[in-house]
Amino acid sequence: MLQKTLTKSNKTDLYLDLVELTSGLLLAGFLWTHMLFVATILISQETFNRLSEFLDTYYLSYIGIPFVLVIALFHFVIAGRRIPTRIQEQKIVWQHAKMLRHTDTWTWVFQAITGMAILVLASIHVWMVVTGWPIRAMNSAERMESFWWFYLILLIVGEYHAGFGVYRQFVKWGWFPRKPIGYVTKVITAIMLALGLAAMVVLVQIGGAI
Amino acid sequence: MADRELTFEIFRYNPQKPEIKPYMQTYKLKETPGMTIFVALNQIREEQDPSLMFDFVCRAAICGSCAMIINGRPKLACKTLTNTLPSKIKLFPLPVFKLIGDLSVDTGTWFRHLSLKTEAWVHTSKTFDPKAQEERMDNETALRIYEAERCIECGCCIAGCATANIRDEFLGAAGINRVARFMIDPRDERTPAEYFEVVGCEEGAFGCMGLMACDDNCPMELPLQMQLAYVRRKMAAYGLGYKATQGVKLA
Ligand code: SF4
Ligand code: SF4
Ligand code: FES
Repeated sequence: MLQKTLTKSNKTDLYLDLVELTSGLLLAGFLWTHMLFVATILISQETFNRLSEFLDTYYLSYIGIPFVLVIALFHFVIAGRRIPTRIQEQKIVWQHAKMLRHTDTWTWVFQAITGMAILVLASIHVWMVVTGWPIRAMNSAERMESFWWFYLILLIVGEYHAGFGVYRQFVKWGWFPRKPIGYVTKVITAIMLALGLAAMVVLVQIGGAI
Repeated sequence: MADRELTFEIFRYNPQKPEIKPYMQTYKLKETPGMTIFVALNQIREEQDPSLMFDFVCRAAICGSCAMIINGRPKLACKTLTNTLPSKIKLFPLPVFKLIGDLSVDTGTWFRHLSLKTEAWVHTSKTFDPKAQEERMDNETALRIYEAERCIECGCCIAGCATANIRDEFLGAAGINRVARFMIDPRDERTPAEYFEVVGCEEGAFGCMGLMACDDNCPMELPLQMQLAYVRRKMAAYGLGYKATQGVKLA
């Protein structure tokens, strides 16, 4: 097998695994920061706007957004290599998950599904935000009021993917025992979901008041 | 619990007779105290259907030959008490391995391939001197080796692993655990580079997606998560520290 002999035994698989790990952790970190930023609306519209202006004046948004997009692209291509592409393989995994009724196997199946959903939804989200630039409480509130269902799906799907993704990386690298890590990531995910939902409610109210 | 009637639904297929398509056959049986799936299967074979195929040797969770899918989960038939299960019990052979017939699979060939591929023996340049005193090993290392050696090669971790179900070449938790066993062993003279050859790839440590079906289903309760993570970390540390060897270039 010439093709296998010549391409084997290098470190590609290791690098891919490390890129999956780093890009995933960066994205989860980004998402959680993002949610904290959005949640400033809970304090006041002014805080929200001031934070956004601050990010603008120091060009953090202009660097940050493209940077995150590039990382997300890498993450999609590289983490996506795990997703079975052949129909037969997909059937095997599906049947396997149904037979095993094993939580961590199911969460992985959903991990793949949510990943695909995020690819589509997050692209729409970025496009909406960028075309409606700048980010101010009023613009966000309007968007939120008209598309709350869209944001609700994106919020749930995103937090799920990030939370379980981080959990799985910790499990794979074994830095901490499994049970506590599962607990911690679930708590973080719950907090982020709560913050996100609360921010949504406030924004929709503001949007309704205009 | 007393006097339950158990309903077994058992997968039937004989690759020798491909004209009969796979089907599920139902058997009914009175539950007796302390009954295991192994006991129940023997009773079915003796009293109802001598053609039923399944494996066992030790009936004491030592030989690893009786593993099968019991109500969806890979388990040892001889270690699974019927009173831990509902009265409807579904049995399938382990996936991944070659099907011999009904519930019987050939795990031997698979594990032999694994042993050869991972070269599962102590690699040493020393010649054995039967008169010399045994070399000493500290207790902690000995215990860690022993822990990994408890694997009975039942194949539950392989059958439960989604990765192993779709990637034929994947070594699975049993394979990576085996490699970990030799990595820990101070008598083995293999270099990290040699280990990297075997497990520093998608077929080895980096193919694992961390689904933990292995860890959750190992009947011997081996610490598989930690073994997988140990090998992954070792291989990553080594892989980041050395320069890729120059290979033959096609163009
Ligand atoms: S943790 Fe790895 S080896 Fe174990 S079941 Fe999952 S993918 Fe397979
Ligand atoms: S590691 Fe556990 S589940 Fe896997 S073959 Fe060994 S004993 Fe069986
Ligand atoms: S018969 Fe030996 S492990 Fe079950």
